[in-house]
Amino acid sequence: MRMTKERNKRNRKPGSGGLWSVGWTRFRERRLAVAGAVIVLFLYLVAIFAPVLTPYNPVTYGDIPAARYMGPSFQHPFGTDKFGRDVMTRMFYGSRVSLLIGFFAVTLSIVLGSLVGALSGYAGGIVDAVLMRVVDALMAIPRLFLLLTCIALFSQSILLIIILLGATGWMSAARLVRGQVLAIKQKDYIVAAEALGAGGKRIIFKHLIPNTLTVIVVSATLRIGGIILAEAALSFLGLGVPPPTPSWGMMVFEGRDVMLDAWWVSTFPGLAIVITVIGFNLLGDGLRDAFDPIHFT
Amino acid sequence: MLLRVNNLETIFRMDRGDVRAVDGINFNIKTGKTLGMVGESGCGKSVTALSIMRLVPDPPGKITAGSIEFDGRNILSLPEKEMRKVRGNEISIVFQEPLSSLNPVFTCGEQVREAIALHSHLGRKDSKAKAVEMLRKVRIPDPEIRYKNYPHQMSGGMRQRVMIAMALSCQPKLLIADEPTTALDVSVQAQIIELLRDLREELGMSVLLITHDLAVIAQMADTVVVMYAGKIVEKAPVERLFSEPSHPYTQGLLASMPGYSVSGKALPVIPGSVPDPAKLPPGCRFSDRCSKRIDRCFVEEPPLFDLGNSHFSRCWLYSKEES
Repeated sequence: MRMTKERNKRNRKPGSGGLWSVGWTRFRERRLAVAGAVIVLFLYLVAIFAPVLTPYNPVTYGDIPAARYMGPSFQHPFGTDKFGRDVMTRMFYGSRVSLLIGFFAVTLSIVLGSLVGALSGYAGGIVDAVLMRVVDALMAIPRLFLLLTCIALFSQSILLIIILLGATGWMSAARLVRGQVLAIKQKDYIVAAEALGAGGKRIIFKHLIPNTLTVIVVSATLRIGGIILAEAALSFLGLGVPPPTPSWGMMVFEGRDVMLDAWWVSTFPGLAIVITVIGFNLLGDGLRDAFDPIHFT
Repeated sequence: MLLRVNNLETIFRMDRGDVRAVDGINFNIKTGKTLGMVGESGCGKSVTALSIMRLVPDPPGKITAGSIEFDGRNILSLPEKEMRKVRGNEISIVFQEPLSSLNPVFTCGEQVREAIALHSHLGRKDSKAKAVEMLRKVRIPDPEIRYKNYPHQMSGGMRQRVMIAMALSCQPKLLIADEPTTALDVSVQAQIIELLRDLREELGMSVLLITHDLAVIAQMADTVVVMYAGKIVEKAPVERLFSEPSHPYTQGLLASMPGYSVSGKALPVIPGSVPDPAKLPPGCRFSDRCSKRIDRCFVEEPPLFDLGNSHFSRCWLYSKEES
């Protein structure tokens, strides 16, 4: 009782009671969420400092007959692959690809989805009907086949994969934001803003989107895991990031023929995918709980 | 004459049929004067306010007839873009619920600043200074510090002050106060009413005060209209309304006010409730609850009779041919 009182006192310092600071306090109380945040932070640090963390080059071949398929050892903690490259080094560099694609593809789909969703929900009527039918139609297209076709048509590149994964993932974000906007649109402060003479654009960007921001951030975080999996799947099918750039999905793919003899080639990147997705999901769940709108009225 | 509402009719198209929320009402507000509007919930007070702001949710609502002349022009025929320049600038509104009328993710000061920036070309620094000035004007203590507070960090009375600061930030000619004190504690109510009275004098604005609280009307209004089921049933200067209420509904409202009747006795109440606006009785709308009804009340709807001294009443009791 005393402690909560103390904390309330601290929170009531002027300017410190905003949505984000309250959410941050609530977030810190959740251990799994903090664990997720630590995993994600660790991944980004590894991705940024990959060249410092490992003495090897991820791309150039090693001494192939001698160095290929070496088991985990002190020099190569996760072993080497069929070209004698250090698996750990390639995993470190591979995290760059996964995180880059995850971050930008999700940003693209969330921005697109928020705009369409907010417009649809706020405008209502015919605009809403048309936009939502477009969303329905796009959702009916089998995503994987569309991706395969486009990648087959154009050259493989990270940019193309980001655009494709982003452009095929915004529909559910649009629906989510539209639902939120429909609820928020009924709030008195929207009528109050209109009564002050605010126009549609201002209402959408100053009132509707900021109030859905927590939901958007949470859904984005949860979505990154899915995008990383999609990228891994594409790479596994040989249609992801072009070799020799290391990517986790590609590494799992490369090791599948030698699973029994050189298990480390596939296993460690596979584990990296699992841990990364778990990390983002824990972080997303934690954010969702911390920013649960029930506690902000 | 600042505001002239003529024959205003606002309907809501519902599944069970059209509902005439406001059914042909007329009233005027002079510059610097306050018109009080009383009535039970659902009698069309708030719809009248939203109609003047042209913010009736459409669909299902629609203004189907009449005109609203504000400062010499009919605002019902203004294009939406022009209307936006009127809202918050020339006509402002304060709503009943100060909690939900503020955006929870921005600080109160920021929202006042926003209201100022909407209708002026002030830069960030100037509009902020003006916002602090407005907060001081509505008597918020430590306005510089309170500027940084979020709505949930303020009490109901403080939030209503912020709403008033936002509404008055562009010095509107007309302020519509839609039940401004209903959601507040009694002691805070008095402070807000006093604040509104002082600001009205200071800014020389007209006020349309909507409430179901006759005590608030007595403190602020110059003229009063009493509404019942979408129609004006009585219109009178405030002293006359309290000294000589003419319509049985007004008499019932006054009698049910604590302190107006004999103490020690149960407060008289008006039996029944407001009729369903989709199924109105054919004659006088108050007929089934009225204690003085005559046969004619069930058949024919009474017009607004002129009782002299700017006093009008929609009741057959005042028909010349009857007496």
